Amino acid sequence: MRHTRMISLAAMVASSGLVLTACGSAGGGPASGGDSKLSDDKVVLGLLNDQSGVYKDLSGPNSKVAIEMAIADYKAKYGDDAVAKNIEIVMADHQNKPDIANTKAQEMYDRDKADIILDVPTSSAALAVATQAKAKKKLHINVGAATTALTGKSCNKYTFHWAYDTYMLANGTGTVLVGEGGKNWSIVYPDYAFGQDMTKSFTAAVEKGGGTVQQSIATPFPNDNFATFITKAESSKPDVIGIMAAGGDLVNFVKQYNQAGLQGKTTLAVGLMFITDIHTLGVEQFAGTTFTDAWYWNMDAESKAWADKFKEKTNTRPSFAHAGNYSAALQYLEAIQEAGTDGSDDVVAKLEGKKVNDVFLRNGEIRAGDHRVLHDAYLVKVKDKANVKEEWDYEEIIKTIPAAEAFNPTVSADCKM
Amino acid sequence: MSAQLTDTVRVETAASAAPERRLNPFVRAALLVVALLVVLALPWYIYPPVAMDILAWGLFAISVDLLLGFTGLLSFGHAAFWGMSAYTTGYIATQVGVPFPVAILGGTLAAMLIAIPTGYLAVRRTGIYFAMVTLAFAQMLYFIANQASDITGGENGLQGIPKTFFGIELVETDSFYFYYAALPIILLGAFIAWRTVSSPFGRVLLAIRDNPARARALGYDVERYKIMVFVISAGIAGLAGGVFSVSHGFASLQELVWTTSGKVVLMTVLGGIGTLWGGPLGAAVVVLLEDQLASSGFNGIGIITGAIFIIIVLLFRKGIWGTAADFIERIRSGMASRGRGDA
Repeated sequence: MRHTRMISLAAMVASSGLVLTACGSAGGGPASGGDSKLSDDKVVLGLLNDQSGVYKDLSGPNSKVAIEMAIADYKAKYGDDAVAKNIEIVMADHQNKPDIANTKAQEMYDRDKADIILDVPTSSAALAVATQAKAKKKLHINVGAATTALTGKSCNKYTFHWAYDTYMLANGTGTVLVGEGGKNWSIVYPDYAFGQDMTKSFTAAVEKGGGTVQQSIATPFPNDNFATFITKAESSKPDVIGIMAAGGDLVNFVKQYNQAGLQGKTTLAVGLMFITDIHTLGVEQFAGTTFTDAWYWNMDAESKAWADKFKEKTNTRPSFAHAGNYSAALQYLEAIQEAGTDGSDDVVAKLEGKKVNDVFLRNGEIRAGDHRVLHDAYLVKVKDKANVKEEWDYEEIIKTIPAAEAFNPTVSADCKM
Repeated sequence: MSAQLTDTVRVETAASAAPERRLNPFVRAALLVVALLVVLALPWYIYPPVAMDILAWGLFAISVDLLLGFTGLLSFGHAAFWGMSAYTTGYIATQVGVPFPVAILGGTLAAMLIAIPTGYLAVRRTGIYFAMVTLAFAQMLYFIANQASDITGGENGLQGIPKTFFGIELVETDSFYFYYAALPIILLGAFIAWRTVSSPFGRVLLAIRDNPARARALGYDVERYKIMVFVISAGIAGLAGGVFSVSHGFASLQELVWTTSGKVVLMTVLGGIGTLWGGPLGAAVVVLLEDQLASSGFNGIGIITGAIFIIIVLLFRKGIWGTAADFIERIRSGMASRGRGDA
């Protein structure tokens, strides 16, 4: 009895000691930056994306390689004149969960002293990070997420949307295909916000071009068996079937579409697809499919050269998300160079309205009104297997959509900076 | 009828079979003080938002333990109450702009409200059927939230929930101070759980868990007791969910998805069923692991958490707290017998 009392007393003393030392150690405030114009004497780039799940291949750990390439190029360009001499990367896996993204973003900004967070696929996670960027007054350049809410309702001074969004995907594919005679559409979409948004945008684009959407068919999400939906979509004898599913669902749909013997008979338009999807399923499965891409590694000599360097380091070809992260990191560092500091407000001021041309952004412009980055987009068709000359040589660009037409020309009324 | 009564499957025998541990009051008081000190010191050692996560998940696990450990009901749809409260809290906080404890209270009430019909339907079944009914209900809520994107924001989630707190800016902007503002809510939830368990009502629950037929024969309305504890548990889960959504500043579909129900059951089992202390311990282990692994560059988080779960279930059937308590018990009884030998 006495013994247990001693033990518990000791435990209490020990833990109160713990509390006291904690109080003591928490006293130190942040150290001042000294003479340097950089906070903490360094620039910290945070990379927050999916390192273990479904989006691992299309962005994931290889985006770190892309960002390292941007840092190397920046240093090579400015040498001793570089404002940012000490550049670090911190990386975390948000597992596509918004709550983890949220906590990790706070940690990156607060504890790791990140000046910017890059990438962040998955819309809900991206919006959570944008909220943190606003609260902490640090930058977030989003590359991986599709939602237009980033430049709409959730837009803020410190968040930029770099690569693509649902409007651009729908507008490109919808408008161009109607122009080429694909007047009658059936759209199959997964019944959640992304699918609904895409369907709305596609319908608007198709109708703008003079076509009609005969039916839009909602499917459960996630879903394995698309047979009935495919039959239904085909029943109205459309010129084009649009599929708005992404990732695993898209792969399932396309497999079953081909098994139904429809490949090549009816044009298949895909809402959102990454080159890694084509690689996973095999180019023959997707042959003839049309979609809008933000960038393609083999579209010209400049991209090819960059993709070759990327391949040396990763042994794979880059997706547009990799190139997007490279571009975002590079332009951020350029803005620091111009501003002479990494203070968020100064960097944002340099980025706003800037016209940019780099490997990823062609005729790019960072729109000041909502921080949407406008740039050329590409309508592409997946090649037949016979025309594939090397691994990853999957896409043929059928039309370049100029920056002014590729994205929503007006700033959303919901966006209040 | 009688066949159905005796057919009640015990969900987890490991904890149910454990003898009632009655530590002496002094030790219990000391434990409580130590726990309070740890909870107070936590945000100094752990990044405050992560510490807040541990507490919210810990309380959530306590609510599951109340059902699983003390009533023998495995709810596999507790995300419904956590998520319902997260969304309601968020909605009230953004639309009405009341201080966050009031919004959380609203969320909690909403969670309890939907728990009444769910409980009414679910408690008529036990074991796997109970788990299935609760799961089905949670899934239903998930799809409703997914569809009602005008209110919930669909899979974008309900974003930008403010931490309104009587105009005290430190709490509203700094997660460190927010932790202390939200701590009383978590402690309140834990207190309610403790009161429930250590009351005559709680003894009846134990009786129902161990032998529902006899409890019924003694004149207790088994179903009504089960509904009551189900609603209390939903309320506690609601408190936790509300704190979680305010802490993160958003509520997303992640809160309602079935893996969230699975995660909290995992935490409870990990910590030790039927202990109340175990839940928060399990939550701490899982949340800290997730946090550490996310920045480690190791890209197989599921493998690690899965492996740990398997090890716990295979080797430490009573969870962390149960195993530790057993260990101490053994040392004590060993010392006691040796003491007698000397005398």
